[in-house]
Amino acid sequence: MDTPREPELGKTYDLVLLRRLWRYVRPYRARFLLALVCLPLTSACVLAQPYLLKLAVDRYMLQREPEGLALVGLLFAVALLGEFVFLYTQFHATMLMAQSSLADLRRDLFAHLLELPARFFERTPVGRLVTRLTTDVDAINEAFSAGTLTIFMDVLTMTGIVTIMLLLDPQLALVALVLVPPLVLSLNFFRIRTRQNYRAMRSRLARINSFLQETISGILVVQLFAQEKKLFGEFDRRNRDYRDASHVSNIYEASLFSVVEAISSVSIGLMLWYGAGQVGSGVVALGTLVAFVDYIQKLFVPMREFSGKYTTLQSALSAIERVFQLLDTPAAITSPDTPRRPQQVRGRIVFDHVWFAYDDEDWVLRDVSFTLEPGEKIALVGATGAGKTTISKLLSRFYDVQRGRILIDGIDIREWDPKVLRRHIGTVLQDVFLFVGDIVTNISLGRTDIAPAALERAAQAVHADRFVRQLPKGYAEQLYERGSNLSAGQRQLLSFARALAYDPAVLVMDEATSSVDPETELLIQDALTTLMEGRTTLVVAHRFSTIQNVDRILVMHKGRLREMGSHEELLGRRGIYWRLYQLQYSGHESGGQASQPARSSESEGLLGGETE
Amino acid sequence: MYRLWTYIFRYRYRYLRGILCLLLTASLAMSIPLLLKRAVEGIEQGLPFSDISLSLAALISVALILGVVRAFSRFLIFNVGRDIEYALRNDLFAHIQTLSLRYYQRNFTGDLMSRFVNDVNAVRLLLGLGILNVLNTPVYYVYGVSAMIAIDPGLTLAALAPYPLMIVFVRAMSRQIMARTLRVQEGLAALSTRVQEGTSGIHVVRAYVGEDWQNAGFATLNARFKADSIALARIRGLFLPLMKTVSGLGLLVILWYGGAQVIAGRLSLGDLVAFMGYLHLLAWPTMALGWLVSIVQRGRAALQRLDGVFQAQPEIIGGADDRPGQVFKGEVGFHNVDFAYHTPDNGHQVLHDITFTVPAGSTVALVGRMGSGKSSLVHLLPRLFDVSDGSISIDGRDIRTFSLADLRRGIGFVPQEPFLFSTRIADNIAFGMPTVDFDQVQWAAEVASIGHEIEALPKGYDTVVGERGITLSGGQKQRLTLARALMADPPILVLDAALSSVDTQTERAILRALRDSTRGKTVLLISHRISAVRDADLILVLDDGRIVETGTHQALAARGGLYAALFQQQALERELAEL
Repeated sequence: MDTPREPELGKTYDLVLLRRLWRYVRPYRARFLLALVCLPLTSACVLAQPYLLKLAVDRYMLQREPEGLALVGLLFAVALLGEFVFLYTQFHATMLMAQSSLADLRRDLFAHLLELPARFFERTPVGRLVTRLTTDVDAINEAFSAGTLTIFMDVLTMTGIVTIMLLLDPQLALVALVLVPPLVLSLNFFRIRTRQNYRAMRSRLARINSFLQETISGILVVQLFAQEKKLFGEFDRRNRDYRDASHVSNIYEASLFSVVEAISSVSIGLMLWYGAGQVGSGVVALGTLVAFVDYIQKLFVPMREFSGKYTTLQSALSAIERVFQLLDTPAAITSPDTPRRPQQVRGRIVFDHVWFAYDDEDWVLRDVSFTLEPGEKIALVGATGAGKTTISKLLSRFYDVQRGRILIDGIDIREWDPKVLRRHIGTVLQDVFLFVGDIVTNISLGRTDIAPAALERAAQAVHADRFVRQLPKGYAEQLYERGSNLSAGQRQLLSFARALAYDPAVLVMDEATSSVDPETELLIQDALTTLMEGRTTLVVAHRFSTIQNVDRILVMHKGRLREMGSHEELLGRRGIYWRLYQLQYSGHESGGQASQPARSSESEGLLGGETE
Repeated sequence: MYRLWTYIFRYRYRYLRGILCLLLTASLAMSIPLLLKRAVEGIEQGLPFSDISLSLAALISVALILGVVRAFSRFLIFNVGRDIEYALRNDLFAHIQTLSLRYYQRNFTGDLMSRFVNDVNAVRLLLGLGILNVLNTPVYYVYGVSAMIAIDPGLTLAALAPYPLMIVFVRAMSRQIMARTLRVQEGLAALSTRVQEGTSGIHVVRAYVGEDWQNAGFATLNARFKADSIALARIRGLFLPLMKTVSGLGLLVILWYGGAQVIAGRLSLGDLVAFMGYLHLLAWPTMALGWLVSIVQRGRAALQRLDGVFQAQPEIIGGADDRPGQVFKGEVGFHNVDFAYHTPDNGHQVLHDITFTVPAGSTVALVGRMGSGKSSLVHLLPRLFDVSDGSISIDGRDIRTFSLADLRRGIGFVPQEPFLFSTRIADNIAFGMPTVDFDQVQWAAEVASIGHEIEALPKGYDTVVGERGITLSGGQKQRLTLARALMADPPILVLDAALSSVDTQTERAILRALRDSTRGKTVLLISHRISAVRDADLILVLDDGRIVETGTHQALAARGGLYAALFQQQALERELAEL
């Protein structure tokens, strides 16, 4: 569990963060300004109310003067209405501003996410990325709507109250406010303690939750070893720690509330005590005392809430930090300064002494060279870890090679505009990924320049059309997460339709290893033939039928290209290919069981797909 | 809600104390406006200073005492909330540990976690802040309204006129807030899913240049979320200003109508001040009433979800043991065992009529294709699942008659997926033991041939698993889990493809070491490698849930069946690896 640090306010670093956030607020600064304007107006309306009370008491009630009272009452009503209008306007403007700028922030975050390197996704759990875009952005929103601006308003109101009290009667005001400095000190004490305690609570809760998560994940082991009692003891200890910390926080919370209330009442008492003598000698008007009672009550309420708002603000700051950290992660593969955007691609592919490693010098490909002429079809075969899948990922520049180069039509792929490059290369990955949405969208992937009829034709050509039409809503059928309402074979056919619809010059394909029923298997084989028709094709083959359909076979072994040639040539050599063939494909020929290759073991060994 | 009452009942005395403090708090709080009124009246009527002083001295002392009592009441009630939260969490934890594996297959970790985190929290709010306000509001109202009526019934009626309106508003609004909150939460979930999909499917997005498409999809959801959030904020933003205005309206009534009364001489200025004081006291409980509705609603929904967990019954229950703590000799028997993961009539049957006996101290290996039922078979022995039909015995006794703890302690089970806890390596190895006996830990690690690799780590056996910079390979993890199973020196050992990530030579070496050090143990072994199973006393070949071949390596290899084909294939693989 990551427990993010909470930065202290007021550091220059925080200012840098806020300045970056301002870039998002700027477009909506009119609303921000409106909110700012409303702040003093709200305060003014709040402050006017006790003063009107004083007027009513001194001028009318004590003078037994009924005439003007209605006017004061009217003014009071206006102040009330004003408070309502300005306060709501301020809330409203702030919230519009916050939601708009945060929606922009989310948009940028998501767009940035799509540009990040493949390596980044290998290291970062998806859950964390989701948290950045949702929980963290929400924490910033919280600060906008509940924290920052109201703190300004509170400060403004409190300053106003103190000023008015001092203006009305400085001596009386001093008596009334004599307890404020010690209160501020004790509030500060509470704030520091509460924060420490809050941190302790948070980390203890995190410990409870990670322990729980681990126990649930490892429940098999727990039950096998009959360790339920022991784990319960450990859970109880963590749970108890958290409870103890929460008791402490209850002490602070209860005391804070009570201290503020008590000091408010005591201040009123002291003020009246002093004021009683002054009224007697005619120095202070009785109405002033009454107004002071109201002012004092209004002064203390915000103090009670200050520490909560402060916490909100701090968690927002650390959220801002995390969000911008994500935005600062450099994007994957950048376009060259003058990218090449050929209109026509013939599809001649050259691997020229290519070396590649996912980590440092842990070479997955070693000095691989080969050439594909336009329209040529080759199959890559090899054991797990031989580097077949890696080759298929390099062509679309999911990763860049460390040494050597890859050329398409004589141009190094690093000189291409990556998006144009990818438009011309159809990639079919081993794990078919389908999106939530209807089937049409899953074939077109949002491209609007392919006519629906063309999409359906593509589906027809790869035999996807038949099962799609049998679905209740046909092409409009909604797919669940990862297409779980389709079978593995159906998912594969859809991914073929996708590739065919894009009509690429080059096809890169990593065959799925999942076995399907014999009938679907035949459909897939046939669809594959259609798909490869007239394209330069590089296929990581797991099916014997696929090997039969290609012009040449490249045999990868331990990162090197070891054998090359036609099926018959390679078999005749009785080398690596011969053995691989015996292992993986012999079952097809002899038994003709297309759906069940001779996989007699569960070992990922030679038969499974690569898991790089 | 029944469960809630049992918790409340458990803490009834502490709640009672809290309630008493709360009543005292309310009484003291209500006397403050009264004292204020006396003081102001005194000043108004020009009474001697000593009279006024008396009221003010009383006011200040009451305020101070009130501070202490109020702190106590809140502290007491909030603490009970926390204590119930603690008890609830413990009870939940104890309960889920008794649930069978089947439950965990059907329910997602994330869902269980959210019940532990969010729902328990919602219940805590209900029991702390919720109960405090449920008690507070009527008390304040009874006190406040009767005190106000005593001063002036007409003015009371007029001043409180806006309050029922406020309650109606609050109710209507909290319903709206609930509905809109739900929409915002759904929107957030949709955004999360979108991000999750966009990142999980990043390769496809990139390969098909679908970035713009993804961004557009996200933008739609983002805009909807923004609109929903604004709709929620709009109504939520209304709350505070409205509350302030309504309580301000009461004040306006006092000023206007009460002021006229004062002028007419029917009311003292002190009365007016007292009235204002009472109104101020009633404002907060009234506002709290609004939140109360949503706190109670959320708390009830959370309780329902928690109840769902509590109502799940453990499917596998140990027998009433007559000889607790006994040690098995280790004879294992399967007698006409059928097994299906779901109910036998509608689920796919995984095992058919399995019968075999393993004499104490011998090694039996299970081989077969993926999905042939090997792993399911060994899972039945420690009763992770129960047989659908037939029975399994140890030392001639049906395993369902042993207590679960005794049965499982007698079996060292090494599962396929190595699972380690993020504690020290030593703790992981000694997981099944009451204490960490270091010598034995070392012995177990040695037998699992992981000892020297642990010692090579900077912190050795104190290394915390999963700590930054230390990553154990799959093979190392498997050997650690083997050491963990050996630790308790169980009479029966089950290895469920437990060394699949270890290379062939090491696997053989480990199995040899095991045989030497575990002489007398009954071993059930699943392995994909012929090299690992060839020395077993008996080999069972499974296919599609049935035992199709039985015999020693020699006999089976000669027979030319499934086992022989497997043997041949692995010979080829080995040749290839050596190229």
